[in-house]
Amino acid sequence: MSDVLLECDSIVKVFPGVRALDGVGLTMTAGSVHALLGENGAGKSTLIKVITGVHTPDDGRLLRRGEEIHLRSPLDATRAGIGVVHQERNLIPGFSVAENITLQNPPSRRGLVDRDAMTAPAERCLAELGLDLDPHRPVRELSVAQQQLVEIAKALYTESQVLLLDEPTASLSPQEAEHLFDVVRRLKERGTCVVFVSHKLEEVFAICDTVTVLRDGRSVLESAPLSDYVQDDVVTLMVGRQHSVTDMTPRTVDPTARPALSLSGLNTAAGHRDVSLDIRPGEIVGLYGLVGAGRSELVKAVLGLDRVTGGEIRVDGEPARIRSPREALHTYGIGYLTENRKEEGVFLEQPIVRNITVTVWKKLARFLGDISSRAEKDVAQDLVDRLGIRVSGLAQNAGELSGGNQQKVSLAKWLAAETRLLVVDEPTVGVDVRTKHAFHELIWELARGGLPILLISSDLTEMITLADRVLVMADHRIRGEVPNDHDYDNMSGQIIRIIHDRAHPAAAASNGTP
Amino acid sequence: MKTAVKPPGSDTARPTDGARPAHRLPFWVNQQLGLLVLIVVLAAVFGTLRPAFFNERLVLFPLLRDVSTLTVVALAQMVVLSIGHMNLAVGRMAAFGAFFAGFGYDRLGLPLVLGLVLCLVAGAAVGALTGWIIARTGVNSFVVTLAMDFALLGLVPLLYSACTENAAFTTRPAGLAELRSSSLADICLGPVCGSPAVPQVAQFTVLALAGLAFLYYRTRTGRELLLTGANPAAAELSGIPTGRRVVLAHALSGTLAALAGFMAAVGTGTFRASIGDDFMLPSFLGAVLGGTLLTGGAVSVVGALLGTTLVGVIRKGLDLLGVGLESLNIYLGCVLLLALSADRVRTVVSYRKVVRST
Repeated sequence: MSDVLLECDSIVKVFPGVRALDGVGLTMTAGSVHALLGENGAGKSTLIKVITGVHTPDDGRLLRRGEEIHLRSPLDATRAGIGVVHQERNLIPGFSVAENITLQNPPSRRGLVDRDAMTAPAERCLAELGLDLDPHRPVRELSVAQQQLVEIAKALYTESQVLLLDEPTASLSPQEAEHLFDVVRRLKERGTCVVFVSHKLEEVFAICDTVTVLRDGRSVLESAPLSDYVQDDVVTLMVGRQHSVTDMTPRTVDPTARPALSLSGLNTAAGHRDVSLDIRPGEIVGLYGLVGAGRSELVKAVLGLDRVTGGEIRVDGEPARIRSPREALHTYGIGYLTENRKEEGVFLEQPIVRNITVTVWKKLARFLGDISSRAEKDVAQDLVDRLGIRVSGLAQNAGELSGGNQQKVSLAKWLAAETRLLVVDEPTVGVDVRTKHAFHELIWELARGGLPILLISSDLTEMITLADRVLVMADHRIRGEVPNDHDYDNMSGQIIRIIHDRAHPAAAASNGTP
Repeated sequence: MKTAVKPPGSDTARPTDGARPAHRLPFWVNQQLGLLVLIVVLAAVFGTLRPAFFNERLVLFPLLRDVSTLTVVALAQMVVLSIGHMNLAVGRMAAFGAFFAGFGYDRLGLPLVLGLVLCLVAGAAVGALTGWIIARTGVNSFVVTLAMDFALLGLVPLLYSACTENAAFTTRPAGLAELRSSSLADICLGPVCGSPAVPQVAQFTVLALAGLAFLYYRTRTGRELLLTGANPAAAELSGIPTGRRVVLAHALSGTLAALAGFMAAVGTGTFRASIGDDFMLPSFLGAVLGGTLLTGGAVSVVGALLGTTLVGVIRKGLDLLGVGLESLNIYLGCVLLLALSADRVRTVVSYRKVVRST
């Protein structure tokens, strides 16, 4: 066995009403990539927070090269050589790349920060990762992927021997993710231990050496070599039972029905040109594209949050001018399940009952605008039961739920309003395998019940599982349409070709007009 | 936590999905209850040290009159805090409203009630204007209300000097003097009379409290205000007219500030520009002590009353003990810090208790 850098020994962490970690072990060896897997709520984030000094464990030991250490703060963890890149970006947008990299220990002269002396170490860290970035550029000008890499460089600067990456590829395009993996491999070669948290098992199997699986706060598989397992074994361990994908009941769409929503030749202030699409009752239309293709922006423009500069929107055949999401909801019956559930989807610090009934208060309100709390609870309870949302009570704050359940609460709000059209934007990002499957069934059943659905997703598997036909968007235009034959290889080939073929002329055009 | 405690129930009964049971904290963690206990204890201590503290006419009556006014001020702040905004102009809006009441009585010869209505309308208008500017431009409420404060700081004295000779309206319509000095003791239902300690102006406070409690706990609009405060982006996408709610919250705040201005003017007997000068700090103090979040999304209507009462009791008690004005403020600061830390201590202790039982 090679050099053990850091070891967790039966860590226990208790929160009110739940043992989030219950005797978890994790061994981090130099020069390896360690996968940390588990469903939402299994305790991965809590474990990361214990290792990085955010939470103090209630029991158990942390050993650094065999010696017990006590981390009282994230700063202690940094000093102990433990670096972390969280799912959210933690950089100071107005500072330059070099300033951000050297933030935790800026080179100084007589107590004043020495700006010139920052550049060299920053360049060294960037070079070690094989990155070509100008250290003087402000971080806010960088893409999300680049910012993430700057955070890794920051961890290098503090000489982290253990680096934790929490869902690093959640918001990256496939090419960007590939670049990230190159960086991870480089880190591994220089003797760092990278702990990799992800829901995407393909990635895990591509780059990880060892694996720990958590379930309900316990490690069901502890620091085992990954090569002994195949994907199905790992899924079984995570879920705790045989995981089988059941076929869904077939669904048919009447192609002659009047479209519930029809866009023709739509131009928007956000840059969409000549966008046309039809969604018929009971149909799931997929809108596929890479991050930044302008899919969510299109929906926001249709909902009245951005200006529509040309073209026509028809709802149920009637020309519509939608000025606000409120009008979209109350007049046209359009619901939008947002991509970003924490910022735009749920009210984290508010009870579940309010989160669900917010769209129907207008209907529930009586003469004086007062709402019977019983009627409100009935609506919420009905949906909690229908969607199988795991709650301890309707008064619980939505922020206390796991990601998948939060997403269900977010969906419940639109089902409560009985919308006549639903836009579903990246419904299963950061949602574990089991909840993801339940969600797919839910969307499928809604469509089977006649609800027209516009599905936005960057997850090709999801698209191919659910959509009837897939529209491919790139650079704010619809580039092509592929009817879904549910054959992954064929579909992915066609879709990638559409994105790829048009990418070159589009790039040339955008270079011509800055 | 060295012993391995078995989780309650079998392993299979545990939530597997991160659905934690809601934090059921014991009842004594309730902030409002803590305030109430603190008020009672302090009143008892002051009463024991200086029996004069319970003198109904000389001590309790003015104390409750101040508390009545400042509670309305705290409510004015609470309404904007509920949407995550602030109103730094709360005192000046009170002066602005009071000017119109005085103007109505002095120049237009309005009866008591109509003057009050004019005052409230003026307050609502200036508040709505503030809210409209914030909603329209997206500038932070701190900045906009600060600007509004400065604008009114100049405008109100100008209005007074243009309309009066000695910068105050002294005309008193019928009923004003009674409103100022009468208490529940003057209102008798047959042989049953009220307490002489409770001033009649408290009726406005009770009305404001009841109205806001109905708004926030029962109605759609109240919930929409809270959700706008909790997460404006999500509120907008959930179909809440956030812009209108912002205007509404500021208009309400202006109305309540004007009402407080009117009550303060009734208390002193004259309508002058200096009304509301000392409203801003108590407005935050009462609301925040009561449990309203500065970040928006949670309010406590009763808490605003209790928080203000606590400050009033401390002030009056220390005053009776013969503490000078400067040292009184030092003591007040210390007691408030203690009151707020006591609350924090309670929360931490009970949190540990719940954790231990898990």
